[in-house]
Amino acid sequence: MASDHGRARRWRGVLTTPVGLTAAVLLVAVAVLTVLGPVLWGTSADAVDTRDVLATPSPEHWAGTDNLGRDILARTLVATRLSMVLAVCAITVAVAAGLLLGAAPYLLGGRAGRLVSAAVNVAVAFPGLLLALFFAVVFGVGATGAVMAVGLAGAPVFARLTQTLVAQVAGRDYVSAARVAGVGRLRILLRHVLPNIAEPLVVNATIGAGGALLAFSGLSFLGLGVQSPAYDWGRLLYDGISAIYVNPAAALAPGLAVLLAGLAFNLFGESVAKGFGVPVLVGAPELRSRGRAAAAAADAPTGTDGDPDEAADDVVLEVRDLEVVFPTATGTVRPVRGVSFDVRRGEAVGVVGESGSGKSLTALAVSRLVSEDGTVRAGRLRFLDQDLTAPDSPALRRMLGTSLAMVFQDPMTSFNPTRRIGRQLAEVATEHQGLGRAEALGRAVDRLDSVRIPDAGRRARQYPHEFSGGMRQRAMIGMGLMGTPSLVVADEPTTALDVTVQQQVLDLLAEIRAADDVALVLISHDVTVVAEVCDRVLVMYAGRIVEDVSAAGLATRAQHPYTRALVAAVPHMDTDLDQPLATIPGRPVDPAEVPAGCAYAARCPLADARCRAEDPPLVAAVDGSRVACWHAGEPLPDPVVRTAEDRTGLDALDADELVEAP
Amino acid sequence: MSELRFEDVTVRFGRTTAVDRVSLTVPVGTVVGLVGESGSGKSTLARAAVGLTEPESGAITLGGRPVPHRGARRPLQMVFQDPYSSLDPRMSIGDSIAEALPRDLDDVRGRRARRDEVARLLELVHLDPHRARDLPARLSGGQRQRVALARALAGRPEVVIADEITSALDVSIQGAVLNLVRELQAELGLSMLFISHNLAVVRYVASRVAVMQGGRIVEEGPTAQVLGAPEHDYTRELLAAAPGRKPS
Ligand SMILES: Nc1ncnc2c1ncn2[C@@H]1O[C@H](COP(=O)(O)OP(=O)(O)OP(=O)(O)O)[C@@H](O)[C@H]1O
Ligand code: SF4
Ligand SMILES: [Mg+2]
Repeated sequence: MASDHGRARRWRGVLTTPVGLTAAVLLVAVAVLTVLGPVLWGTSADAVDTRDVLATPSPEHWAGTDNLGRDILARTLVATRLSMVLAVCAITVAVAAGLLLGAAPYLLGGRAGRLVSAAVNVAVAFPGLLLALFFAVVFGVGATGAVMAVGLAGAPVFARLTQTLVAQVAGRDYVSAARVAGVGRLRILLRHVLPNIAEPLVVNATIGAGGALLAFSGLSFLGLGVQSPAYDWGRLLYDGISAIYVNPAAALAPGLAVLLAGLAFNLFGESVAKGFGVPVLVGAPELRSRGRAAAAAADAPTGTDGDPDEAADDVVLEVRDLEVVFPTATGTVRPVRGVSFDVRRGEAVGVVGESGSGKSLTALAVSRLVSEDGTVRAGRLRFLDQDLTAPDSPALRRMLGTSLAMVFQDPMTSFNPTRRIGRQLAEVATEHQGLGRAEALGRAVDRLDSVRIPDAGRRARQYPHEFSGGMRQRAMIGMGLMGTPSLVVADEPTTALDVTVQQQVLDLLAEIRAADDVALVLISHDVTVVAEVCDRVLVMYAGRIVEDVSAAGLATRAQHPYTRALVAAVPHMDTDLDQPLATIPGRPVDPAEVPAGCAYAARCPLADARCRAEDPPLVAAVDGSRVACWHAGEPLPDPVVRTAEDRTGLDALDADELVEAP
Repeated sequence: MSELRFEDVTVRFGRTTAVDRVSLTVPVGTVVGLVGESGSGKSTLARAAVGLTEPESGAITLGGRPVPHRGARRPLQMVFQDPYSSLDPRMSIGDSIAEALPRDLDDVRGRRARRDEVARLLELVHLDPHRARDLPARLSGGQRQRVALARALAGRPEVVIADEITSALDVSIQGAVLNLVRELQAELGLSMLFISHNLAVVRYVASRVAVMQGGRIVEEGPTAQVLGAPEHDYTRELLAAAPGRKPS
């Protein structure tokens, strides 16, 4: 979701498109006229001049005069206020009624709910203008009647929109969580659902306001709306038409006003919709194309040619001094602080580290998916000889789309909830590999099958919510395998899977890797999995790589105190049940408060004055492993002592206050 | 404290039977581990218990009475598997936790007490209480799951259903959470249905284990017995696949 900062940025994005800007300027003009129109031209609009009736355009009367000799242009300008007020009232009625009807199925539930939604679906099928005419007759001729008519006629569309949006949000776990916590349906609707659907609703209301304006003018034009002496644009149009052969401008001026104002609303709404997108609906392929231009490398330390660690030929991915920076209210944070590593063809590199250590951000930076408010800098960021810090281009996107597969940590939002799984997989192949629809779908089913989705043919026709969490994750992996990737970046791909499937998935990844020499970057907090699957392990702490060690050596040859603590903290099948598990005391470093010196010092049993003052550099050993620690490899205090220390950490949590026996 | 009991529970979605005549008891003060492959119905069983899914037949009782799914007191709480979708993206994490606090806290001690309680719960899950006003987007996956855990504990539940709660946690915090689960259980007799795919984790916290496959419970018993001398083929298969078992 966008932070406030990201939101400001997107608004700026909307306003810098030509269409968005034009629409915004028009809207502001309409708003100004609404306020000032009657004040400025009120008198001239009502000035009757019987000597000059039905005049054609002239220097005094740019659009001529009506049958009482009143100035048409002035009247058109003055009519802005009434037209706008009525349109806004009508759309308010439409949205309010739509919200009530749309939310009713959720609040009522069961049969009553289904009845309401069926009724809405029938109502949507009626042409809006017909409904408006019907209501206009019911409510009687006049402005109020017309507002109700146009409003209620627009309600079904909003009801259906609301219903769809509510259903979507209501399916999310946070709504379930609130229900389990005992929060009532109405409160859930007000607190969790409405705020999360407000954006698309407001955008659609803006677009709808344009429609309401047109509908309203239509009613007035038919004589069913505003009655004289009051007048809106529709009324002026009605009067103007009768004199169209004498003075066409009398009809053109209000007609043009309706057109311009209506367009302004429509275009503005649509460019906002485009600029903001609907975040939950964005599927992975779209995500990919959204990848923003990474900022160029100017101010990062250079990894220039002739560099001693100049990449070898078989390097698929080369990362030097990668940084990711986010703006905050008080300045900036740097969750990734200078990460350097290579991935060779066919190599499996694991990335481990605690939550918040920057693993995912590193992966996202490589696949150009860091959210728009973040800035990616790197001395060098190359994938298959392409510069990933270059601005976005179709060629780069296609290259990434086919050669880089990304498997996300979050299986729910990686799929578009409104589209069938099979189609979403197939899209990757039709988009980037030019496969036909049927062929692509066949391949999708094949891939689903290979990630052990039972009955893949049938499952491919299901929607994401019909999959269990584990199956969604597997489908996501299947999606990553649709192309012919040179590199698979998998961020916690097996986290939600049970051991048997986890093993199958890891075997599957290993198979693909062996068959096509595909490189793998596997991000996981599960040290065991990484050690089993990978050749090499990168250990991250507070946005840095603190150790780079062969997977085989992880358990025995790790040098860094943090790596060793991580390995010790994993429970296994013969862990002593009478002892508390080893934990790492303290909490991970908040990226906003990275201390001077070694970031791990506050939790490290070996820390001394030097550690707290100077940050240890990542230095390479002869065997190619790298470690960043002033006391690498020195013996740690007795594990039992360390465990006791951890216990104090936990005891301080005052567990017994947590749940009071009732 | 009361006993959570599933009796002959069946849950169907259309033509698929997700949970097939399951009977299972979570005795007072016990942690029961529930293991099984993905899609075997573990989460569905959990969701049926807290009222998010309607069972087709069977009964789910807490202390002999049907589990209350209405009203402010919810003695059965659940922590979800997916830390990304279990927090409202528009609500600060502090508010999300406060929402689950017992209502009577308002009247007795007021706003201040709520804030303190939220801070204490955040501390409990190793999050900086100053982050209470952050939105979930600012948190990494593991951090979010800790918030979800704090929220479940906020309701002072009698039984907690934990659905894969540690699968997204770091080993460093996983250890602390598992230690915490054991402490709560030992000192306060908190009962828990602990769903996990990680046998080593289940072995560590649960005194009883149930193994689920294809919607049915195929084996159930004391942890040492089930994991030490498994009787069902599927349990044996699970054990063989447990990580760390593979010769390297
Ligand atoms: N859009 C953002 N704005 C501000 N801070 C952010 C943003 N995205 C991530 N962060 C911060 O960056 C840090 C690193 O996040 P990242 O997601 O890379 O962690 P991670 O190592 O993948 O953790 P986990 O194991 O929990 O997935 C975290 O402290 C997070 O709060
Ligand atoms: S540099 Fe010092 S504080 Fe940092 S890990 Fe090494 S010994 Fe510990
Ligand atoms: Mg992550």
